[in-house]
Amino acid sequence: MADAQREDVLGQSYDLALLHRLWRYVRPYRKQFMLSLVCLPVTSAFLLAQPYILKLAVDGYITHHDSQGLAVAGLLFAGALLGEFLFFYWQYQATMSVAQKSLADLRADLFAHLQELPSSFFDRHPVGRLVTRLTTDVDAINEAFTAGTLTIFMDLLTLAGIIVIMLSLDLRLALVTLTVLPPLMLILEFFRKRSRDTYRAIRDRLARINAFLQETLSGIVVVQLFAQEKKFFAEFNQRNRDFRDANHLSNIYEASLFSLVEAAGSIAVAVMLWYGASRVGAGFIALGTLVAFVEYLQKFFVPIREFGTKYTTMQSAMTALERVFQLLDTPVTITSPAMPHRPTRVRGQITFEHVWFAYKGDDWVLRDVSFTLEPGQKIALVGATGSGKTTISKLLTRSADTQQGRILVDGVDIREWDLHLLRRQIGVVLQDVFLFSGDVATNITLGRTDITDEALARAAQYVNADRFIAQLPRGYHEPIRERGSNLSGGQRQLLSFARALAYDPAILVLDEATSSVDPETELLIQDAMTKLMAGRTTLVIAHRFSTIQHADRIIVLHKGQVRELGTHQELIEQRGIYWRLYQLQYAPPSHGPQLAEAG
Amino acid sequence: MHRLWSYLSRYRFRYARGIVCLVASATLAMSIPLLLKWTVEAIQRKQSFRDISWYVLVMIAVASVQGVLRAFSRFMIFNIGRDVEFDLRNDLFAHLQKLSLGYYQRQSTGDLMSRLVNDVTAVRLLLGLGVLNLLNTPLYYIYAISAMVMMDPMLTLVALAPYPFLLFAVKRMSRMMMEKTVKVQEGLANLSSRVQEGVSGIHVVRAYAREDWQNAEFGRLNDAFKEESMSLARLRGFFPPLMKGVSGIGLLVVLWYGGSHVIAGRLSLGDLVAFMGYLHLLAWPTMALGFLISIVQRGQAALKRLEVILQARPDIIDGQGDGIDRSIRGEIGFHHVDFAYPSMGNGRAVLHDITFTVPAGATVAVVGRMGSGKSTLLQLLPRLFDVSSGTITIDGQDIRTCSLAALRRWVGFVPQDPFLFSTLIKDNVAFALPEVDMAQVRRAASVANLARDIEDFPRGYDTVVGERGVTLSGGQKQRLTLARALAADTPILVLDDALSSVDVQTERAILHELRDTTRGKTVLVISHRISAVRDADVIVVLDDGRIMETGTHEDLVARGGLYADIFQQQALEEELAEL
Repeated sequence: MADAQREDVLGQSYDLALLHRLWRYVRPYRKQFMLSLVCLPVTSAFLLAQPYILKLAVDGYITHHDSQGLAVAGLLFAGALLGEFLFFYWQYQATMSVAQKSLADLRADLFAHLQELPSSFFDRHPVGRLVTRLTTDVDAINEAFTAGTLTIFMDLLTLAGIIVIMLSLDLRLALVTLTVLPPLMLILEFFRKRSRDTYRAIRDRLARINAFLQETLSGIVVVQLFAQEKKFFAEFNQRNRDFRDANHLSNIYEASLFSLVEAAGSIAVAVMLWYGASRVGAGFIALGTLVAFVEYLQKFFVPIREFGTKYTTMQSAMTALERVFQLLDTPVTITSPAMPHRPTRVRGQITFEHVWFAYKGDDWVLRDVSFTLEPGQKIALVGATGSGKTTISKLLTRSADTQQGRILVDGVDIREWDLHLLRRQIGVVLQDVFLFSGDVATNITLGRTDITDEALARAAQYVNADRFIAQLPRGYHEPIRERGSNLSGGQRQLLSFARALAYDPAILVLDEATSSVDPETELLIQDAMTKLMAGRTTLVIAHRFSTIQHADRIIVLHKGQVRELGTHQELIEQRGIYWRLYQLQYAPPSHGPQLAEAG
Repeated sequence: MHRLWSYLSRYRFRYARGIVCLVASATLAMSIPLLLKWTVEAIQRKQSFRDISWYVLVMIAVASVQGVLRAFSRFMIFNIGRDVEFDLRNDLFAHLQKLSLGYYQRQSTGDLMSRLVNDVTAVRLLLGLGVLNLLNTPLYYIYAISAMVMMDPMLTLVALAPYPFLLFAVKRMSRMMMEKTVKVQEGLANLSSRVQEGVSGIHVVRAYAREDWQNAEFGRLNDAFKEESMSLARLRGFFPPLMKGVSGIGLLVVLWYGGSHVIAGRLSLGDLVAFMGYLHLLAWPTMALGFLISIVQRGQAALKRLEVILQARPDIIDGQGDGIDRSIRGEIGFHHVDFAYPSMGNGRAVLHDITFTVPAGATVAVVGRMGSGKSTLLQLLPRLFDVSSGTITIDGQDIRTCSLAALRRWVGFVPQDPFLFSTLIKDNVAFALPEVDMAQVRRAASVANLARDIEDFPRGYDTVVGERGVTLSGGQKQRLTLARALAADTPILVLDDALSSVDVQTERAILHELRDTTRGKTVLVISHRISAVRDADVIVVLDDGRIMETGTHEDLVARGGLYADIFQQQALEEELAEL
């Protein structure tokens, strides 16, 4: 019991901390926020005035047969209605505007933060869940703005106002009427606790149903192969039943709560009339007061009925806030240093010095890798899958940092470099070309507006991409379909060459595609690659023999180590790893032995 | 709509009970303003306190009984909505289980999930909240209007004059809200796919240092979404005041017009109070009318979409053949089998004229390059797909004439892609067993070379698989799926390149162990590593969907054909791995 209480208190201070952080996003729009805060009591006041005007009308004019006065009362009433309408609307608009603006800022921050996170983060967090953080969770916070927080203040204000007015209209009548409240509150509390618990149960059970569905649909073939349909149906049925039962219970609670509050309203009116009747008879109370009380009581019970739902909305918003801030708190590990190295010219010398790297623990992917590329040199990286070739390109662009040793570009540790400048100077062309939604031009410039149409066309032409682009119905403005499905593999390759060229990097990292393309496109790609590499320091993860032949040197990576280094001829003569790799990967199998002998 | 009626009629008695409560509750609710009127009139006439007390007591009694009846009517009808939801979900699940692999290759899981979640909810709302309000609203209107007309027809007319307008406004706004909501949802979907794209393409963005561009692109959609949301909010902001306006304007009219009637002595103050009461009671049903329309429309559309799923015909028709208990020898025959994927437009054949037999108890390996059709060939045996022409037999019987349940109890299939359920390890191994038999689970795990791995986990066989428990390596997953098939103890075992992530030595050891422990079982195995399957009784070499060669390892190597080529290449690879 005491523990639960302490937890509650802890939870509250924690919630406050979350709200405090949220305030940072609301702060820029505090004027509007204040406006909304000011509108709240005004709305309440207009609302509270209405029954009072009724009282005036009944006591002052109707009972005294004053038609003119009644007209005035009618106008006042209309005015109060209009006032309530307008101020509520302004309040709501202001709140929503603040909510939308600050949440848009929050989303933008989240997105920007995502971009800075290290790639290891994305290995651990599935894309779907990250999308949920930016959409569903932020939306849950929005719900709290729409239907929760501020209106709770207004409701409380209204309730307090009604009590005060009733007390001042007629103290004893009010006290007698409000005797309905304490028992009602007790019963409400009873239901509130239970419906909160069932609400939680419902949420958990729905999540269980959905998780089960998702998993079963993904693994349906396994279920069918082992003829386990009956067992799975029974399991699903059970979860479905649990969910239904919780909902049945919740329906009972909610219907009871709803009806209880309604009945309490009528009973309060009855009690009030009972007591009031004797006093009206005795001339202590005017009839109008009774009418006003009836109206106040009607207005009193509406917000009470809605407290429950608003409370749950708030709770799920808090959970969402917590998750969102958790994502924002994920540390960015790869950043530019405080005093970044920003040279005006980059020559393109690359040095790996005793580089060790592991994605996880002691599982070394690179072990003590050292080599140097002079500006303009071309090196082919060769090795079996899993030998660590791609990791080298990742380290060079600082997608991850080395655990031991260092990497230098132009003699400066890349961790000293300005991160963006470094990456701009390294053009990466991967075998799996990623295309963004948007048109062909956007996919070459990647949204850079300082690349002119002419420069764009020149780049495309230089790497032989212009021909197929010209054949597209809308040329450079042809929209790219999802995952580039309207372009062939070879076309996507050429497009990515144009992209690299448009950025004119000093260093080029090329991961050659293994997939085969038609001979004509193959020639275009070969030609484009040669042009692209000219004058640039190039590190190519080679899959084609022609590429290897044109390299100045070949580095053979095997199990994370540099095992052989030299030209094609030298390495073939060594009859080591390269010799075997060569036969396996680069030479057609039936000719393999002959070529090896020739070498 | 046939299905809608069938659900409605299934619960007709409970609906009837709910409706009785609803009518009774509405009747009582409508008597409260009348009681109010009488009380006020009694007070005005300065009747005795005893008389007034009677009115008040009746009012309290009526309010209490009405409260109870109302609670009953609400949860009875809402619960039917939940029951239909339950039935519908079960029906959908049962039906989805019957649909075959081909269907799931065409349909995305995400799409199915969203139908099962959102559309089922829409149907539930229609049959719960929708039905309740469809009955409640007219009931309230009839009662209130007749009571009001009895008191003062003219005042009734004037008081209700704004209602048609309000109803029209609510209806119109509901439609606009629907449209705007759709737009906001589209905006949210755009944001989602943008985030999805941003995360998937992050390596490119980073490589070209184009984070600013991505932020700007996201910002554009984010702003658009913000604008749409605000425009929806502007509209939504009208609703609460409108709702209050419904009763407020009526109240104003009653006060003004009715008040002058009272002054003129044509109406009692009690009537005036009663009028106000009725207008309060009508406020909610009037609002409900507005959104009722969209609930009905959405529910119907959802039901239509669900119907499409429920009408989807299974590709694989269950055979009418004999019982599950029959034991078989395990002889397999492929007779002139051709196969083309039915769903893939071009209809290009993947397998051509495949004919071979596997004697009971033999081990046969299928070998070939990537895309040669070997996986497809094995998938035909448990009828994941049906042959386009030709037949496949087990013990001479066409598998299409066996019952599916029997067939799948004969054939233990270990798929390429190791799918595991996020339950305990022992539950995964004992997947096909009626209950967990630890002796059998341990035996299967040991043959699959997994026992030691499992014992290394702190919770052993009680470890949860997947995110909430231990993350298994690719090789462990594959060995676990093998153990799952072994525990099922089927007379035929099919391994569809099921050990690709396991190292060569282990694969070879497992296959050896398998031969010893599964003596008498027919084993069909694909491996991309020849050295693992060289001991097979017969090796079938497939290329481009045709059988090129068959024979033992020694035969095939001696022939110097495709098999010999692949073998030589793999020998080199292994040599390399050992360097």
